[in-house]
Amino acid sequence: MGEPLSRVTVDPDLCIGSGECVRLLPESFRIDERRGVSTPQPGAMAADRALLEEAAINCPTRAITVNDRVT
Amino acid sequence: MTDLLTTYTATITFDRFDDIRAALFDPNLSRTFDRRSYEQGNIRDGIVSIAHGATHRARRRIENTQFRADVLRLYERELFPKVMSDLLDVLIDGDRVDLFPIGEMLSVVLAARRAGIEYDPSSLDDLQRLVHHVDLFSQGSAILDARDPDAVRAAVRTTYEEFARDFVRPAWERRGEIVAAVRAGRIPESELPHDILTVLLLHREDPQLALEDDGRIVREVATYLQGGTHTSAQTLVNSLDLIFAQGDRAAATIERVAADTLFAQRVVQETLRLRPTTPKIKRRAETDTEVAGTKIPKDALVVLDVVTANRDAKLFGENADEFDPDRSIDPAVPRWGHSFGGGPHQCPGRAVGGGFPIPASFDVDADHVYGLVALEVQAIAKRGVRPDPERAPVRDTRTERFTRWLHYPVRFERRTAEVAPGR
Repeated sequence: MGEPLSRVTVDPDLCIGSGECVRLLPESFRIDERRGVSTPQPGAMAADRALLEEAAINCPTRAITVNDRVT
Repeated sequence: MTDLLTTYTATITFDRFDDIRAALFDPNLSRTFDRRSYEQGNIRDGIVSIAHGATHRARRRIENTQFRADVLRLYERELFPKVMSDLLDVLIDGDRVDLFPIGEMLSVVLAARRAGIEYDPSSLDDLQRLVHHVDLFSQGSAILDARDPDAVRAAVRTTYEEFARDFVRPAWERRGEIVAAVRAGRIPESELPHDILTVLLLHREDPQLALEDDGRIVREVATYLQGGTHTSAQTLVNSLDLIFAQGDRAAATIERVAADTLFAQRVVQETLRLRPTTPKIKRRAETDTEVAGTKIPKDALVVLDVVTANRDAKLFGENADEFDPDRSIDPAVPRWGHSFGGGPHQCPGRAVGGGFPIPASFDVDADHVYGLVALEVQAIAKRGVRPDPERAPVRDTRTERFTRWLHYPVRFERRTAEVAPGR
């Protein structure tokens, strides 16, 4: 059985578009330049959980949450 | 409640690494000690550094677009090496020079470009005038640590007027025309200049940005010009000062810096750890809050002793007080400690000056960004820099920040980066 998938969200009201998450996980996050905020990409759900949690911890505004995905 | 907070309900100091991190990330702690208007004496009125909450986030969203990784790579791979080499050839006009103004002039070139300032790149006079303005803006940014704050306020106000007239207004007019043309659909968005002034003009109608006052735009541009110049120049000088303090080993370290860009970057990040530009970060409690188990009342002054935290032996080793660019550090701990701040008010130009984090393995990929200061230190090292035994460096005593210099005389073995024959 593989690793459980993650549910990754970015609160657009908190995000300041620092790009820390994109630098850490370029396949999982992308900056929506029109709004200036990060958006999780479909690949985020299968990304390395430890790196996702590192991205959440290092997000300057704590805009990222990572939970187990409930199917 | 006064708009200029000088009397606090409490003063609470943190000096442990994890406690400082918790404080930096606490959204209830701001940098807003002065809520007065510019006319009432607040020389930092409206700038992003002291904004907080929704306005701060909205401003950072548009301004962070100028610090994307692809822009940083363009700067340090294509633009900066040529600019830096040409400038150094001019500025190193003898074997004895003052390193600090050289560092400022190197850094101000790209800082001006990012800020959106227009000047004559062939004019050393223009560069020197910009550096003069930066010096005043730097005193303004450190107003909380100024020995004579009223004198600083008066000098900075005068400087804003000259800076607006000579540098911002001409750039503003040209960018205003381009923004209008984009809005009218006459030219594509891709024609917009990539700089802070342009994004401010493009978005200033957004009420969340609180940019209705022209003076705020001038001060915001000045903030980015100053932030991209002064800190880099001080870090350049501090890097060399720490290397020279190695005595007999200094020459070998200079050789390594000249030959190895990643080592040069480690020198810069180690320097930032030991000599943070802001040794004591200050925050104001916007409301009652709690950090690391300590209750903090509204309007308390929170002091974050970065110097002590950055020398925590448990994180940086038993020799944490020493300058050791090769030290091994847990990858979860930044090599620069807390010197760029953190949380919502983290320095936006961290990667510009200090580059990307360095992996514990010291192996970096092709996308790695080394930071402009590493390139500056390397370029200086390639010219055979050494201390000037006849002239002592001079610290900046106008501020209580011990990491600031006014003059740093050095000598050079070579005026260009070419290695001398036989070496």
